[in-house]
Amino acid sequence: MSGHRKGRCMSKLLIVDDEIDIREFAKNFFKKRGVNVFTASGGGEAFEIAAQEHPDLILLDVRMEEMTGVEFLRKMREQGNHTKVIMVSGIEDEEIVEEAKGLGILGFIHKPLILGELQKVVMKELEGDPAVD
Amino acid sequence: MALSKAVPKIDYKKALEAASRGMIMIHDPAVLIKLILRIIVGRVHIAHAGMILHDPDRDRYVLNVSKGKIGARVPAGFARFDKNSPIIQVFLNKKIEPILRGKKAILAHDVHATIWKEGLLNGGVCDPEISLLLHDVRDEMELYDVSACVPAVYHRELMAVLLLGDKVEGGHFDQEELDFFSALASNAAMAIRNAQLFEKLKDHAEKKHDLFIRMTNTLGAAIEAKDEYTKGHSEGVTRYSVAIARYMADYMGYAFEEKFYEDLYIAGILHDIGKIGVPEMILNKPGRLTPEEYALIKRHPVDGVAILKDLPELEESIKGIRHHHERMDGSGYPDGLKGDEIPVIASIIAVADAFDAMTTQRPYRQPTSAEDAVAEIMRCVETQFHGDASRAIKGLLDSGLLA
Repeated sequence: MSGHRKGRCMSKLLIVDDEIDIREFAKNFFKKRGVNVFTASGGGEAFEIAAQEHPDLILLDVRMEEMTGVEFLRKMREQGNHTKVIMVSGIEDEEIVEEAKGLGILGFIHKPLILGELQKVVMKELEGDPAVD
Repeated sequence: MALSKAVPKIDYKKALEAASRGMIMIHDPAVLIKLILRIIVGRVHIAHAGMILHDPDRDRYVLNVSKGKIGARVPAGFARFDKNSPIIQVFLNKKIEPILRGKKAILAHDVHATIWKEGLLNGGVCDPEISLLLHDVRDEMELYDVSACVPAVYHRELMAVLLLGDKVEGGHFDQEELDFFSALASNAAMAIRNAQLFEKLKDHAEKKHDLFIRMTNTLGAAIEAKDEYTKGHSEGVTRYSVAIARYMADYMGYAFEEKFYEDLYIAGILHDIGKIGVPEMILNKPGRLTPEEYALIKRHPVDGVAILKDLPELEESIKGIRHHHERMDGSGYPDGLKGDEIPVIASIIAVADAFDAMTTQRPYRQPTSAEDAVAEIMRCVETQFHGDASRAIKGLLDSGLLA
C-alpha cells in the first residue's frame, strides 16, 4: 500500500508556502502521485490562483512574510470561498490553531512532519474515499 | 566500457582524506554534516542527499540538513522519522546487519534480491519479519526519492541515517562508494556523540555546582577579559580534553568513569584560573618575557590551586590544574614530576592546552595549522607529552574529528 496511483485523478492542489524549498519539493512529490499542482509564494498570488483554478484543496503554510496563513484564510472565507484547507505549521501556537479552526479547516500538520502521513491526508481528500489496494 | 570514459573515477581514499582535513576544528555537528553532504553531492554527483539526526530529547529523527537541487532535496526541518518508521527500525533490528553482508547500506534496487537470497539461504523462506520490514523500508525510500540509506552508528547507537538520491549519471552505487559514505557517516556519528557528551557534561556540571560554576565562570571570564588572546581558550582546552579522554577510552583501553569526565571538564575550564594574579601587561606583552616576568607566569598553576583549595569536591580537578605544565622528562613545573607521577588528568590537559595555544592566534605569531600542531606534539612525545594522550589527539586529527 504505497498510495502511489499515477494519473488516477487530476485533482487540483494549491500549495501556499513562502519557502521555495518546501514549495518545490511538495510540488514534485504530489505531481509524481498524479496530482495537478499549483504553487503560490504568498497570499496575493494564492488569491489569484484560487480564483482562476478552483483547487480541490489548499495546503497552507501558517508562517509567511507577506500575509500569514490565518490572514489569508480569513480573507478567503470573507469572500465566500470555502475551498478545503489543510494548514502546515512549525509552531504549536494554541491561539492560531483555535482561530484557524473557527475559519473551517480540515486540520493541522506540524513540521517536522511524517511525509507518509501528509501523503495520506492529502490523497484522501483529493481521491475521495481511498480505495484500499 | 563506454560509460566509464565519460565519468572520471574518484579516488575515494584521497577524497576521504581531503574530507577529513576539512572536518578538522568543526565544533558544530550541523556544520560538519553540511560539509559531508556537500562532498557527497558535489563529488559523487548525486541528485540530492540528506541526513536525519537523532533528537535525544524527543527520541525521534529529524531531517535537519540536505543538499541538492531545489525540488529534489528534502527541505531541512521539513520531515521527521519516528522511532517506529521503517528506515529507523531497520537499522535498530539486530537481524539486519548479517543480511546486509558488509554492504553498509540498504539499496532500494537491491531489496528484492536481498530477500530472495535470504530465502535461498534459509531453505526457501525469508524471515517474514525481515521481508516485511525491508519492503516497508523500500516504500519509505520511494517517498523521499532515495536510492540508498547509510546508517551512522557510534557504539551500537544509531546517531543518524544518510539518505541518498540517485546518481546524476545513472547506475547504482558500487561498494567502494558505499564504503566512502559509510566512513563519512561514522565520522559524523562520532562528532555528534562528542558534541552531545560535551553539552551533557556542561549541563550536568552547571546543575551540580550551580553557584560554584557560575562563580568560576565569572572568574574565568575575568581572566579572559584580561588576556584578549586567550578568549575562548578555556572552552577550547576543555573540548579537546574531553575528546582526547573519550578517544583514549574508546581505542586505548582506558576505563574512565563518568566522574573523571566531570573533573576533566572543570579542570579544563579552570586550568588557567591562577593567571588572574598575573598583570595584564605581562599576559598581553607582544615581545619576549624577561626571566622575572616568566617566573610570574609560571606561578599560575600553584596560584590556581590556592584559589580552589578549600573546595574538597575539586580534589581531582585541582590535580589537573596544578600539574598541567609538568613534562614527561621531569623538566616541567611546578613540581618537576616525571612520567607516571603526573596525573593523567593533567597530561590530557597539557596536550589539549598546547594544541589550542598553537592553533590560536597570539600577539607574537600567526596560528599554526592543526596538522603542524599535532606534528609538533608528536615530536615532543615522551619528553614533554604523555604518549597515549598525544596519540589520541593524532587519532582525532587523522579521523577528522578534532571537534
